[in-house]
Amino acid sequence: MTVDQISVTGRTGAPDSIARRAPAGRPRISMTGRRHRAFYLFTAPWIIGFLLLTVVPMAYALWLSFTTYDGISPHWRYVGLGNYTELFSDPQTWNSLGRTGLFAITSVPLSIVAGLGLAVLVNRPIRARGLFRTLLYLPAVVPPVGAGLTFKALFDQNSGAANGVLTLFGFDALGWLADPYARYVLLMSVLWAAGNVMIISLAGLQDVPRELHEAARIDGAGAWRTFRSITVPLLSPVLLFQTVTGVIASVQTIMPLLLTPDGTTAGVTALPQSNYLYMMHVFSQYFALGRYGYASALLWVLFVLILIATGLIFRFTSGVVFYNVDPEAKK
Amino acid sequence: MHPRAGASLSRRRFLALSAAGGATGAAALSGCAMRVSSGVSGVGETVTVMAKADDFSPELIRQARKDLGVKIVTVRYDITKLIGMMTNGAPPDLVRGVGATDAPYFAARDVMEDLDPYFARSDVLRAGDLDPVNDLWRYDGRTQGKGPRYGMAKDFSQDSMFWYNTALFDEAGVGHPPETEPVTYEEWLEDARRLTRRRNGQTTVFGGSYQGVLTPNLLASLTASAGGNLFTDDFSRIDFTTPEARKALAWYVEYGRSRVGPSIVQPDPNAWDGPTYQAGRMAMSNSGYWLGGLINTDKKLAPLSRLAPAPLFAGGRRVSPCQAGTGFWMPKKAKNKDAAWRVFEWFFGEGPARARASGGWGIPTLKSLRPLMPAREDYQKRVLKVQNAELRHFSVIAFTPYASADSLYALFNQEAPAAMNGHMSVDTLAGRLNSVMNEQLKRGKEQVG
Repeated sequence: MTVDQISVTGRTGAPDSIARRAPAGRPRISMTGRRHRAFYLFTAPWIIGFLLLTVVPMAYALWLSFTTYDGISPHWRYVGLGNYTELFSDPQTWNSLGRTGLFAITSVPLSIVAGLGLAVLVNRPIRARGLFRTLLYLPAVVPPVGAGLTFKALFDQNSGAANGVLTLFGFDALGWLADPYARYVLLMSVLWAAGNVMIISLAGLQDVPRELHEAARIDGAGAWRTFRSITVPLLSPVLLFQTVTGVIASVQTIMPLLLTPDGTTAGVTALPQSNYLYMMHVFSQYFALGRYGYASALLWVLFVLILIATGLIFRFTSGVVFYNVDPEAKK
Repeated sequence: MHPRAGASLSRRRFLALSAAGGATGAAALSGCAMRVSSGVSGVGETVTVMAKADDFSPELIRQARKDLGVKIVTVRYDITKLIGMMTNGAPPDLVRGVGATDAPYFAARDVMEDLDPYFARSDVLRAGDLDPVNDLWRYDGRTQGKGPRYGMAKDFSQDSMFWYNTALFDEAGVGHPPETEPVTYEEWLEDARRLTRRRNGQTTVFGGSYQGVLTPNLLASLTASAGGNLFTDDFSRIDFTTPEARKALAWYVEYGRSRVGPSIVQPDPNAWDGPTYQAGRMAMSNSGYWLGGLINTDKKLAPLSRLAPAPLFAGGRRVSPCQAGTGFWMPKKAKNKDAAWRVFEWFFGEGPARARASGGWGIPTLKSLRPLMPAREDYQKRVLKVQNAELRHFSVIAFTPYASADSLYALFNQEAPAAMNGHMSVDTLAGRLNSVMNEQLKRGKEQVG
């Protein structure tokens, strides 16, 4: 069957014959109708999941954010915007938000640069390339809880390997998991998972047409110039994607909780101040202090901030992201 | 430090094995003469218990099926899951809890079943046989320690006591603490300083750990030991600026600053003292009798270890409270209350209780089980002598019903590190703690109504 046939008859011969055999009075469904039905049938599982697991909880959290509900006490009450006004005067909110912003603008570029660097390395025709790709990606598939345990063991002040190396060279041991060093351990835990960025960048690198590199080389461009003027522009959609998802992931990170020795609900709040990020504040308010209403307000504010941050990233990168397709072609 | 949820896997495994051993003991003991519950049976029913893995091992669950004909389904203890289950109207039938702090909190919110009628009918758990520590599970609507019983402790310790390793004292040339007379907290800290060994910025031997069960309970106990009360009479406010509370707070901040043991600013990767003490890297561990369950299994460590009375502040009073009293309670909306009570009786008064008593993981909460406490070896006899003498100083230190211990602990964690790192004075910290904790108590009071 050709596209022309479909466009002329609106349906194929076979459905036509089926339609002729259909009992009288049963409404005939057009091809457009069938397409719509198929579309909704196929997307229904996601839509239902989205409604039940995202929209409903978000609406519930929104309602909670206007109350003093703590999950158990009988006399909670409606406080209107009270939680939101309190939130803006809470120094812990501002401090944790500031630290989170700093963490995002440090960790996202670091992980992108590290991941891209690794991708460039393992994209070269080197011996045992597959093995290196696997090894470098492995940390990214380690569950965060396992990574947290590993980091705690590595950076323990008295028995960790990190201090073992320092003392071997005559330096004093450091309290890695306490202030002011805990933030560096957190950053290292981000770099530990740079394999995720590497694998996506690698896919992007392999999509860069080889002839462009050859043309550049013929024109006398060096490796750095080729990378800067050809590879990076062609990778820019991938880098944009990684920036957006990286920022969202960094503001939602729970890694600091996994680096605390005491894993109880309240124990995880015994964080070094430098790692007391916004989500730690949310966790503490929800589960340690039992302030479901206030914590829900914090989450809604975070949701809005993420929307704004994402919008700003798109706005400021619109001129530098290069899409290797003709935007008019689909119109 | 008392066991916590976040403890290391090796410890969990250790406790699970201990529980399995306990269950085996229970099975052996079940053949002994046993008082039989007069009231309820629950045969054929299913009881949902929210517990930690070491509370109800698979062996113990099988034993329950055999002894009671009741099927026990366990749900891992998690406060957020508990709140979710209660909100949905389907709470577990029995819930693990810390009597010292959970009892007033949940009772004040009217979600606990009054167990007095069940106790009145029971031939297994008789009022006269209950150790006073079970009063932690009583709440009369205003004060903990009085009124109806809402739960029971499975075992207990006097958590301000401490264990010490005589070999480490001897190596450092520090005299052993007296056997039945308390040292002062000031002396304890001075000893801890002398016992601490450091090399290249690493602590090779911690002089002493003193962290209590949860920091709020610890601070309440320290304040009591200094001769005061942390909470006001109606428990609606906390005050760290009274001379006694300030003294307690200053001591604890100094403990953190001195880095003689694990604290918020010097976390122990194991999250509890057991492995560090067992490795001979901690000279004193603030743990009650229950740590003997671990120590007794180490034939090298046990003869070197001694239990010492709870310290007191110079000029203060001698108190030796239980900061936990961990046990179980029954939610008001539990579906199978009779069957749950039968499991409750069995767990607290029959085979499992006897196995726990003989294991040394705590003092039994029924007076009639005291003779089962381990006393075969010389070191066990010595420990038991100290413990029995300490029982005379037991008291219940009531906790506020208006805030969970977790919430006050979290607020302390947010404020105290600055003081422990020397960036804030004790007086400033006291003021800040008063501010944030009283705000939390005020919210709680509003919600309790």
